[in-house]
Amino acid sequence: MAVSTVTSSTPTGRLLTFTGRRIAAVAFVLPLAYLVLAPIFWLQLEALGDGASAYEAEFGRATMPETLISTAWLACGSLAIAMVLGTLLAWSATLLPPRLRFMRILPIFPMILPLVSQVLGWIFLLSPGPGYLNAVLRRLPWWSGLTGGPVDVYSLPWIVIITGVSLTSFVYLFVSAGFQNINSELIESAHVSGSSGIGVFLRVILPIIRPQLLYGAAVALLIGLGQFTVPLLLGRTNGVRVITTEIFMALYGRQPQDPAAAAAIGSPLLVVGVAVVLIQRFLLGNSSRFVTHGGKGFRPVRRSSVLPAVFIGTYLLLSTVAPLVGLVIVALSPYWTSTVVPDALSLDNFRTLFAEPNLVDAIWTSIWVSFLAVCICLPIGFVASSLLLRAKDMPVLRGVLDVLIALPLGVPAVVFGVGFLLTYSREPFFLYGTNWVILVVYVTIMLPFTTRMHMSGMAALGDAYLEASRVCGAGPLRTNLQIVLPLLRGSVGGAAALMFVLLTHEFTASLLVRSTDVQVMGTILYDTFTNGYYPLVASIALIMTVVTFAGAALALLVGGAGTLEDL
Amino acid sequence: MSHLLVTNLHKQFAGKPPTTAIDQLSFEIEEGEFVVLLGPSGCGKTTTLRCLAGLEKADAGTITLGGRTWFDSARRVALPPEKRNIGMVFQSYALWPHMTVRRNIGYPLRARRKKGQDAARWVEEAAALVGCQNLLDRYPAQLSGGQQQRVSLARSLVSRPDLILFDEPLSNLDAKLREDVRAQLHELHRRLRFTAVFVTHDQSEALALAERVAVMREGRFEQIGTPHEVFEHPATEYVADFIGLSVRLEATRTDGITRLAGVAADGRLPAPVRHGEFVLRARPDDLRIGPTAPALPTMTTVPVSIVDKVFGGRTIDVYVRLGEQRVHARIPVDDTYGWVRGLRAGDEVVLGFRPENVRAYASDGAAIVPDEALSPLGS
Repeated sequence: MAVSTVTSSTPTGRLLTFTGRRIAAVAFVLPLAYLVLAPIFWLQLEALGDGASAYEAEFGRATMPETLISTAWLACGSLAIAMVLGTLLAWSATLLPPRLRFMRILPIFPMILPLVSQVLGWIFLLSPGPGYLNAVLRRLPWWSGLTGGPVDVYSLPWIVIITGVSLTSFVYLFVSAGFQNINSELIESAHVSGSSGIGVFLRVILPIIRPQLLYGAAVALLIGLGQFTVPLLLGRTNGVRVITTEIFMALYGRQPQDPAAAAAIGSPLLVVGVAVVLIQRFLLGNSSRFVTHGGKGFRPVRRSSVLPAVFIGTYLLLSTVAPLVGLVIVALSPYWTSTVVPDALSLDNFRTLFAEPNLVDAIWTSIWVSFLAVCICLPIGFVASSLLLRAKDMPVLRGVLDVLIALPLGVPAVVFGVGFLLTYSREPFFLYGTNWVILVVYVTIMLPFTTRMHMSGMAALGDAYLEASRVCGAGPLRTNLQIVLPLLRGSVGGAAALMFVLLTHEFTASLLVRSTDVQVMGTILYDTFTNGYYPLVASIALIMTVVTFAGAALALLVGGAGTLEDL
Repeated sequence: MSHLLVTNLHKQFAGKPPTTAIDQLSFEIEEGEFVVLLGPSGCGKTTTLRCLAGLEKADAGTITLGGRTWFDSARRVALPPEKRNIGMVFQSYALWPHMTVRRNIGYPLRARRKKGQDAARWVEEAAALVGCQNLLDRYPAQLSGGQQQRVSLARSLVSRPDLILFDEPLSNLDAKLREDVRAQLHELHRRLRFTAVFVTHDQSEALALAERVAVMREGRFEQIGTPHEVFEHPATEYVADFIGLSVRLEATRTDGITRLAGVAADGRLPAPVRHGEFVLRARPDDLRIGPTAPALPTMTTVPVSIVDKVFGGRTIDVYVRLGEQRVHARIPVDDTYGWVRGLRAGDEVVLGFRPENVRAYASDGAAIVPDEALSPLGS
């Protein structure tokens, strides 16, 4: 038996196997490269067409300086709010008394609530005229003379605040992960050395989690810069423009559509996104380093108190519960006015909604396209993270894959969206006008998520289990099927449910590539919103929220409480 | 013909500067032999083991087992681990948490397509060998560290592989358990005669288990021999240090006077007279102290002063100052105990050792072979 194996391992045989592995890896990366790079390529080609005249036209426009300033305000202001709130929330979470530990997961809830629902909820609460909260505030003696306000949710400061509150969850995630990795003895020794609670926080904890703080800040800044949903829904009333809404308007607010203008306006965001991805890649090396390893986490020496719980509860109330309440009231009302008539509340809006075939179609399209995209993304994420973590003999390919995977996260969805539109409305893949375009887009924007989640699972698994399997005589296939997959079951299940959540509330990219016949929940919601029939909008937003929460509950059930933190 | 044959194995790790983990290493292991690779961390022992397993690919060299080529850089042959028919025991045990002990142990058989009654019996037998037959239906998380390591051992034995590799398997166990598992492993090897390569940094483990010990340094074998050879005749000063001859005394001969650490000594030394400068290596246990030189007959002596003494149960650790140097002597608690206990820091005493118990090394670290009759200190 031994002899026969010797003949099978002739030099050429070995050589072929290695080359075969390499060919297979390249064959895997090439389609991904097309998915990610083709949109960016067509986008830039469009922007540079006709002697790059689109740049001159767009950036020479009189409104452009104000647009850029608003964009900067949005990015920096929301970043500042998110950093402060996120860090304080993470710190509060460590101070929770044992029986309230479950509250650590609450600051992540705003990520589950679809952003469109959140924004609509705020409109219903804080719109200057019929906003419920404004109406309540006007009862206060010093505001009693007002007919509108006092809060104008359609103004730039409130766009910044609402964006900041929604970004807080991201910062919270990164900073909490940082806290988890601090050895509690470091904290204890600082206390023993005579530092107070605040002193320990400022002099020991913050410096230790500086990498996570910076990384969280970079992510929040990118999201803030590329933020589209909030300014689109809130900014149009008072003419608050940012780069992302200008991109959208160049395509859908002008006759005829001006893709060159959209591409040109998007260029700064594209450059910043690509630069951040490349800088991260070359400064910090392989992204596997950013996979956090579950540690025991630290327990602060300070006595736990109820105050942190109150703080976290307030955040949840303001970020999630309040907008939801606004949504529910409007969804149950026949029309939206500043006063709530309890007797008039009914489920009529939902009946209307389910009687509209195109609304029902959009809901089903959302669900099954998301499901299909998740099914496609799971094996891609598994293979991609295996390559990134273990294919040490193919450094170039790994580097390329690492950047490819990160790009859809770095480049804002609205910019990518224009690229998708340009790519899939021409040969060889003319998909515009079919559901396939939504599917392809969803797969592309999920690449970073599926890969990261698989990577964190695999990294936590370590090498010893795999090596043990190999020396026991199992080949790579059996090792993956019988050892890696069963051990990753939690991460994979969690990844699936989470991607489903993210996709069912996808709004930005869908809005750019949809057509009259191809609608998902987010796009149908936007159309209903622009038509001004608010109770129906609220109903759709609620349905979107329910679908998303169902997905999230499934994620927690399958993947355990840590799933959401893998993001 | 030897069972496992390794020739000119070489492995570098990229970096600035690149580090050589294995340096042109060649060795042979007979069938049924138990060889221990001993050395400090970073000496290349684990890398060597992983190259044998196929988990790491060497840059150059060949590895063959029973005439079958596992690795040959020139012919570009590198069998993956699963084609090598080996077993391996990991430091972290690496038992798969989602499988019962039975399925863990049976995995190598399933992977090699052995099924049915025979396979089930082999699993039972392997479990019985390590005393785990009553743990078969538990999950690894329900086992103690020692049990896990025994299951891991059973898993490496079950398919009767050509070679079993041990990667510091005992270092995660506490001291008491370590000796138990070590004794069990020794007995198991005596019964089954599997071929084994065992990596450790613990010299007592190496001496207890090995039929041959290879002491590694910077990717090479500094010495390979039976535990007795290595223990009694360390080939170099490095091996001597690693194997427990931790006391180092620089010796010089000038004008017929021999000095140890600069202090004139009296007696014989295991180095021919032609050596003017050399290094003596001794175990603390082989050193004695006495009030005067005549109190230590047949010993080579040198005057020292007491620094400190520490009680250690059956022994007492005495630290003395010899010239500028601190020397550690471990004195058995016997009839001199009363006198030793009365010593105070600063007391002037004499340090002595039997010349046949110490080893001499030239300045390049090579052992100096003593004359038939140990040479007197004077010329």
